[in-house]
Amino acid sequence: MKLLSQTLLKIASVKLAALAVLLMLGATATALAQDPRIQTSQLDALAAKASETVDVNIDESLMALTTKFLSSKDEDEKKVKELVSGLKGIYVKSFEFESEGQYTDADLESIRSQLRNPAWSRIINARSKKDGSVEVYVMHTGGQISGLAVLATELKEITVINIVGPVDLEKLTQLEGEFGIPDLGLEGSKPKRKN
Amino acid sequence: MKKPIAISFTGLALIALIGFVPTTQAKGDDFGEVVRLIEQFYHVKHEGIPLLARAGMKTATTVARISGGPRRQIAEAGSVKVAYFEDQNFRSSGSYAAFKSSMNSVLTGWSPFIQVASPKEDAQSYIYLRDAGNKFNVMVVTIEQREACVVQVNLSPESMAKLMRNPDEMGNKITVEATTNDKE
Repeated sequence: MKLLSQTLLKIASVKLAALAVLLMLGATATALAQDPRIQTSQLDALAAKASETVDVNIDESLMALTTKFLSSKDEDEKKVKELVSGLKGIYVKSFEFESEGQYTDADLESIRSQLRNPAWSRIINARSKKDGSVEVYVMHTGGQISGLAVLATELKEITVINIVGPVDLEKLTQLEGEFGIPDLGLEGSKPKRKN
Repeated sequence: MKKPIAISFTGLALIALIGFVPTTQAKGDDFGEVVRLIEQFYHVKHEGIPLLARAGMKTATTVARISGGPRRQIAEAGSVKVAYFEDQNFRSSGSYAAFKSSMNSVLTGWSPFIQVASPKEDAQSYIYLRDAGNKFNVMVVTIEQREACVVQVNLSPESMAKLMRNPDEMGNKITVEATTNDKE
């Protein structure tokens, strides 16, 4: 009888441990799926064909530093300080090509596949044959925006912008030209389509 | 679309023309490691600054005149390290990715803030940042077809925060400061 109870206890312990592992794995997978930091390293293969590549990385510590040391007295700096307050990172990657046809949609699939995650919502999808396309996505976590991604393509240019933290479209337009974020001409843009 | 980065090699090269700036290649430091990496990767040798110092004063004066007015000092006095490579072959034949990877490996304690490659011009620019307590170390590496320059300076957090807003100008501002500092 004692042996039986010990065996049952052991089985229960193993099952509990397995359940705990599964829960941990599930939590990790969810966290990864909802990471507002998108991976762009797969695009690096395009560098060989590009006439210019640019990588800008402002991680959380640099972002915090910027926020901490921008002046609260200077009006301009104060405005920027408020804009970037709470942001955890700004990442920009761009490729410029000498001629058209140097990249295909397949090259961008690594980015789009991440942005197809249900946590991301596309708020702008502007396309034109002449000017290319601009897609803007935001990630919501717990009812708040936790990240923003922009995929802008022209015939001879690709730009990916990823801002981690509480940022909306209005903030993005005000940050154009700052911190390596190129001017995408988003000012005045309004959401055209939601996924 | 506006290009986000444009680091002038000419500007960077000016630093190397200044006699007061020490060349540094001390063993064990990251600056020296980067210089050695460039030497090994491209089979080149960095120049001794004294050979170039003759033109230094004139260049510094010119830059000071162009900048005009009182300039805010960016780099911490005496913190500048420079290594210069002149008239050597830096044509990379598409090996930017390998070089970038090597740089990132050497500078593991640094944040790769900006990395720019322009294969058409055979040009590369890199800015790395490192927290150094109450200040920041900034390393700027610029490579073109026949020349290269490595600069390391210390910046106050306030200067860093200001420069972070405009990374396009960061390399140039550091360069101008390093070039004209102590000359007036």
